[in-house]
Amino acid sequence: MLLRLAGLAALALLAACGGLLVGGSPLATADVMQALLHPAHASAVTTIVWQLRMPRICIAIVVGSSLAVAGALLQGMLRNPLADPYLTGVSAGAAAAISIAILAGVAPPLTPGIGFVAGLGTAILVAALARRGGGVDPNRLILAGISLSALFSAVVALVLTRAQSVDYVQQFIAWLAGSLAGRGWHALAVALPYATLGMLLALFAIPALNALRVGDVRARAVGLDVGRSQWLILIASSLLAASSVALAGIVGFIGLIVPHLARRVVGSDARVLLPACAFCGAALCLAADAIGRTIVAPSELPIGVLLAFIGVPTFLYLYLRAEART
Amino acid sequence: MIELRDLGVAIDGRMLLRDVNARVEPGEFVAVLGPNGVGKTTLLRAIAGVRPHAAGSIIVGGEAVDRLRPAQRARRMAFVTSDDALTDALTVVDVVGIARFAHHRWWEWSSTPQDEAAIEGALRAVRMEAYRERLFSTLSSGERQRVWIAMGLAQETPVLMLDEPTSHLDVRVAHKILALLREVARRGHTVLCVLHDLNEAAAYADRLMLLGCDRLLAFDRPNAVLAGDAIEEAYGIEMERVRLPDGRLRVFARDAIL
Repeated sequence: MLLRLAGLAALALLAACGGLLVGGSPLATADVMQALLHPAHASAVTTIVWQLRMPRICIAIVVGSSLAVAGALLQGMLRNPLADPYLTGVSAGAAAAISIAILAGVAPPLTPGIGFVAGLGTAILVAALARRGGGVDPNRLILAGISLSALFSAVVALVLTRAQSVDYVQQFIAWLAGSLAGRGWHALAVALPYATLGMLLALFAIPALNALRVGDVRARAVGLDVGRSQWLILIASSLLAASSVALAGIVGFIGLIVPHLARRVVGSDARVLLPACAFCGAALCLAADAIGRTIVAPSELPIGVLLAFIGVPTFLYLYLRAEART
Repeated sequence: MIELRDLGVAIDGRMLLRDVNARVEPGEFVAVLGPNGVGKTTLLRAIAGVRPHAAGSIIVGGEAVDRLRPAQRARRMAFVTSDDALTDALTVVDVVGIARFAHHRWWEWSSTPQDEAAIEGALRAVRMEAYRERLFSTLSSGERQRVWIAMGLAQETPVLMLDEPTSHLDVRVAHKILALLREVARRGHTVLCVLHDLNEAAAYADRLMLLGCDRLLAFDRPNAVLAGDAIEEAYGIEMERVRLPDGRLRVFARDAIL
């Protein structure tokens, strides 16, 4: 199992190396190595590597791993394979707030922070609506998440229909499609503490996730405080999803599909599943970003669009083939 | 030892059972009986601490269940239920291993030699050691039931509670499971088990706890419970009693006999 985990880590590392080499201006491996070893040396390659590609690679790692781990947390807690990180309304809440912020002319550097706060706020509201006894009711959580997401999607639609400027609509749609374009060290520095906190809380949730594999009642019977664990998982997944939304907008597919892929590779034991999701999600996000920067260079394809176009058919093929075998 | 004092259990504010007073000793096998919907499962879940009770108190090993932390409770009582499907592809040993949750602190992620011994012992007790690496989803109903019981045994608690462990099982497998529970009680564990078949319960249990009409109707030796009127009162039908050559009673619904 550890070998498989190491394989996924190697895959993520390979994708990160690929991300450094490819892009609008292809760089030679030797030049990239030189720039990596001498970051203070002033050259165009050093600037490209350290100011453009490296922050994007780090952001892709944070976004991919956060979404995949958040998806695994929610799927484990709800015991529902259809759960994804945006189930708690994080994306819809952030989208509504950012659409209004862009329309109101808020400076672009502030929008990720607004998205983070609104996304997290929506998740807290959904959790409050789903509260029951000492924990949350899974069905209520899904219903509240879907209902609030629908409400905030309506807000987005209303704002878009009211928008006069084509620039505004384009700017917002680019955010909706999920993109790492133009994100730098500053954006990463703002979101990283929250993503790190989310990952740490996810580590605390590992024993609970394993116990929940036999259902809530049995998990209670073996000594799990189910209510407290549900809150822990909800807070962790909301922090991870909100950090990712703040960094890259709405990146679909990873949070829903990567946990399924990782489960096929390493099984459902959360001790290996969560790291596997983190490596697999990071690898996928890095690969999609590298491809998106290359195939229509000097322009870029949004990462969310690329992930859906390539990832979904690939996943369906792999999944159906595996199902047919069993 | 389990002690129920003026216990009341409810679902959604509707009182199912009131003023239940009973005491179950270590090494006793008690079968909980009663018609559908009377509150057998709710009572068992309340005793196990997996749902709150509405009134009175439940004392296990000298302490009130609702004052115990979840892990403390799980080191005293195991609760076996079979009404929840698994969504993950878990092997038999994965499932039984989850029973060891309360024996670990949150940072202790690896299984200890004690865990391994408890898991192996539990699988051996239910004769499932050859199935340890089999996927749970590929097992028959009887095999699954044995895995759930192994999970309860691997928890290594003085009290073992089971909710309908013989439902959907043929008479041979049901017999094996009840004989196993009888053996568990003989080793000093308290066994509290919801059953539907009155004669099955009478054949294996030390005492029968008969529930009906929102209260505890009888709690006595099998012959005493089966001989009394409480059976008719609980189920609302007339019963025919048959005495076996060794003196034990068996009951049948009168219409079924005629």
